[in-house]
Amino acid sequence: MLKNYLKIAWRNLWKSKGYSFLNIFGLAIGITCASLILLWVEDEVNFDSVFSKQDLIYYVPTNQTYEGEWRTFYSTPMLLAKDLKEEIPQIVRAVATSSENFLFTEGENGINRQGRYANADFFEIFSLQFLEGNSKTAFNRPDAIVLTKKTATDLFGKDTPVLNKALRVNNADNYVITGVVQDLPENVSFDFEWLAPFERYSAGVEWMQEYGSNFTDTFVELAPGAYFKEVDDKVRKMLPRITENPGTFAFLHTIKDWHLRSNFEGGKKVGGQIIYVRLFSLIAIVILLIACINFMNLSTARSEKRAKEVGVRKVLGSDKKSLISQFMAEALITATLAAIVSILLLILLLPQFNILIEKQLELQFFDATHLLTLVGITLTCGLLAGWYPAFYLSSFKPVEVLKGVRAKHGTATFIRKGLVVTQFTVSIVFIISTIIVYQQVQHVKSRDLGYEKENLIKIPVNGDMIKNFIPIKQDMIASGLIENVALNNSEVLSGGNNGSGLQWQGGTNTEDVLISFRFVSSNFLETAGIEILEGRGFSNNAAKDSTNTIITESFAKLMGQGSAVGKTITRGNVYTIIGVVKDFLYGDMYGTSDPVMFFNHNDYARYMYVKMKSKNGFDKTLAAMENVMKTHNPVFPFEYEFVDDAFNARFKSEKLIGSLSRIFALLAIIISCLGLFGLSSYTAEQRRKEIGVRKVLGSSVSNIVRLLSKDFMSLVLVAIVLAVPFSWWAMQRWLEGFAYHIEINWLIFAVASLIAVCIALLTVSFQAIKAAIASPVKSLRTE
Amino acid sequence: MITMLLQLNNIFKWVNSGGQRIFLLKDLSLKVEEGEFISVMGPSGSGKSTLLNVIGMLDNFDEGEYDFLHESVHTLKEKHLATLYKQYIGFVFQAYHLIDELTVYENLEMPLLYKKISGSERKALVADMLDRFNIVGKQKLFPTQLSGGQQQLVGVARALITSPKLILADEPTGNLNSKQGEEIMEIFKQLNDEGVTIIQATHSEKNAAYGSRIINLLDGRMV
Repeated sequence: MLKNYLKIAWRNLWKSKGYSFLNIFGLAIGITCASLILLWVEDEVNFDSVFSKQDLIYYVPTNQTYEGEWRTFYSTPMLLAKDLKEEIPQIVRAVATSSENFLFTEGENGINRQGRYANADFFEIFSLQFLEGNSKTAFNRPDAIVLTKKTATDLFGKDTPVLNKALRVNNADNYVITGVVQDLPENVSFDFEWLAPFERYSAGVEWMQEYGSNFTDTFVELAPGAYFKEVDDKVRKMLPRITENPGTFAFLHTIKDWHLRSNFEGGKKVGGQIIYVRLFSLIAIVILLIACINFMNLSTARSEKRAKEVGVRKVLGSDKKSLISQFMAEALITATLAAIVSILLLILLLPQFNILIEKQLELQFFDATHLLTLVGITLTCGLLAGWYPAFYLSSFKPVEVLKGVRAKHGTATFIRKGLVVTQFTVSIVFIISTIIVYQQVQHVKSRDLGYEKENLIKIPVNGDMIKNFIPIKQDMIASGLIENVALNNSEVLSGGNNGSGLQWQGGTNTEDVLISFRFVSSNFLETAGIEILEGRGFSNNAAKDSTNTIITESFAKLMGQGSAVGKTITRGNVYTIIGVVKDFLYGDMYGTSDPVMFFNHNDYARYMYVKMKSKNGFDKTLAAMENVMKTHNPVFPFEYEFVDDAFNARFKSEKLIGSLSRIFALLAIIISCLGLFGLSSYTAEQRRKEIGVRKVLGSSVSNIVRLLSKDFMSLVLVAIVLAVPFSWWAMQRWLEGFAYHIEINWLIFAVASLIAVCIALLTVSFQAIKAAIASPVKSLRTE
Repeated sequence: MITMLLQLNNIFKWVNSGGQRIFLLKDLSLKVEEGEFISVMGPSGSGKSTLLNVIGMLDNFDEGEYDFLHESVHTLKEKHLATLYKQYIGFVFQAYHLIDELTVYENLEMPLLYKKISGSERKALVADMLDRFNIVGKQKLFPTQLSGGQQQLVGVARALITSPKLILADEPTGNLNSKQGEEIMEIFKQLNDEGVTIIQATHSEKNAAYGSRIINLLDGRMV
């Protein structure tokens, strides 16, 4: 029996190649698309799963209150880790870490690598695999350093044992390599290329030993079976008790949520990337559904061709059940063929997809999850797409269909129309969302940042760059290609370096306001193009400005009416305001940034900013800069970054959402069009006789095209009516997630609708015209 | 010994159209004994096909009683009906109604599949039929590759393959030329001689004459 089903199914597929192609190809696109999304979702969900103690490891962020609002920071006092471990028995391991950039030199070879100061617990917490040395002894000496395999290879070459080798760091310090650990995979939330004992960093530095300094990332490992609530409770009570300040407390944040649920609002977890994981999973399902709808539509539309067979089979003794299984078998075969096609498509498209999403996803056919998922999708598609046609076709009455009485079409036609409307609704929602996401990203990108990011280059400070700042600046400007050079202790794009507890004239509760501090060279404001609104900039002689400060306008507003210039701010010392500058944007690109206080003070500088005259002929500028650096900071390799590139990189996830939604919109439209194409060609075929008669009676081609297109176009119009309010609602909610966002323009809906109408019209009219220009004699004779 | 095959008592079948009741079958009673060869005659629309469909249990009726081999058809559920006609009745159609996607061999095999007959037995039965109708050479062809007469031959063979007690043939020669028609009628005659009961609907006096009894229908009534 099964053999018989398969045979019929195969011959049917083969006989109507056009429909089979539409069916299989449509489903294949759907399956491919869903598979790509699921691969991405898998990668996202498996983030940090390389850490085998995931369930026991917690990040320790702090909640701090400013101006009555709780804000969450991932930084903690260095002392916290040690005290947590000592005081709370359920915490078996704890580590404070701090990120740093090291220059390693080995012979001629010099490379910069980001790494972390930590303690020996770090190895155990994150289950690091030692290739050389071991976790017990790695940090037994104060000058120890542990490298990743990649860094060891880059420095010393492949397969060279490096244990106990000396290593020169920042051209100043000597370390001894005490271990090499396996590289971490790409999908972990933090990376490091080296690890060194924290003591070497903190020994003798007084401010680090204070509970008021939040500057480390703290991780703890709980004992297996520890009751989270109880431990978390103890952690929350600790900081207020030690610091006697109820405005700051630490808490446990499982690293399982590290990647996907790391956004906090008002001190509470509010999700994060997880919303995109959910959204795209939903999209995968929707696209599959659209593809299945095609199958259902085409199958029921073609039902008349199968009606006779159903009748004969029933007369010859088939019951409904075996007919249902027969049609289900056909749907499953189609789905299986589609799955095979989609595997080919996946192999073809995955590399492109990886480039787009900047990941290294792999398709593993022999991986049980992948295989089962693919089989699962295929079966679901087959069953979902097959059940309606199966029940519909098998319900035909033999007497009617064998007599040639047309099977009743009422419900089937209605459902078919409903399905087409669904497809187009989804497509239009995709088109609208794509446009709005694009506009929003463009909107933020073109936001006035308060400084000029163009032609601005960031160079990390190392070696003698601070000491030789004046000659570096002079020589660079002398090259004629560079306008200005300045120093800053912070990146212009980033937050951090902030504090509270300040006092100033004209404000109340001033201690409660979080202020960012920027220690800059005197010409930083000009270099970055930050506009001075009032007063003056810093003097070239920093000594003169030792008690002066420049603030942003939002800070000036906090000081009440009148000019802020001349007023004083107390931050340990008393500073006099000599200038007010325009607010500039840093940290959250969609939000508003905290007030800033500038100091004319070079010593803490971590970045050098270079303003080029123009980006044209950058090779020359680069050569000039390299030349200057070689003279004044010879040991360190020259590294740089364009600020506008870094700015664009901030929109990585938005860019990803943008490109993915573009792709999905396109796919949804393609699949829907395949279906519409099939349906319209079927209708045209079905109405051949009618068209023939009309033509004989004098109807024009355009009349007939209009007649045939009208039905479908009204469906698309219904879809527009459904899609517009829904997408307005959904996108409005999405936009509300951003403090700085566009207002939705009604024109977008018009444009999207027009696109949908045009695409549908193009699809339908192709078949309509074909039918309309056919010779009536031919179509009438076949009756 | 003569046994009763089926009995129709006062069968009514109607449709309601525009507030009017139109009778397709009106007060129709009929007894058929095993081994009979009945020809149903009458003009188009007189109810020949409806009668055959009712007898074949493909169509239901609105009033009256129908006994088939002492089973009361009017009280049976559809599932039972299917088992009943699957076992005892074979159908032959004017338009042959072979499945175009299956070969001659596969078309013959299909009713056996639905009766869940084993593979080896199926093979033997199909081979018998092919032999009997002299179409062994055509077994691998698809219906569209055959002439009308050949297709109807396959249709008859398919109806016979389950060894039914009754064959219902709705204008079996309607689409055939006279020579082909005659061949089919000869086969029917032969089958009847072997004991198969046959009821055929026909327009042709000549074909009707092959039967042992002629029933004339007009507007759903026997005349």
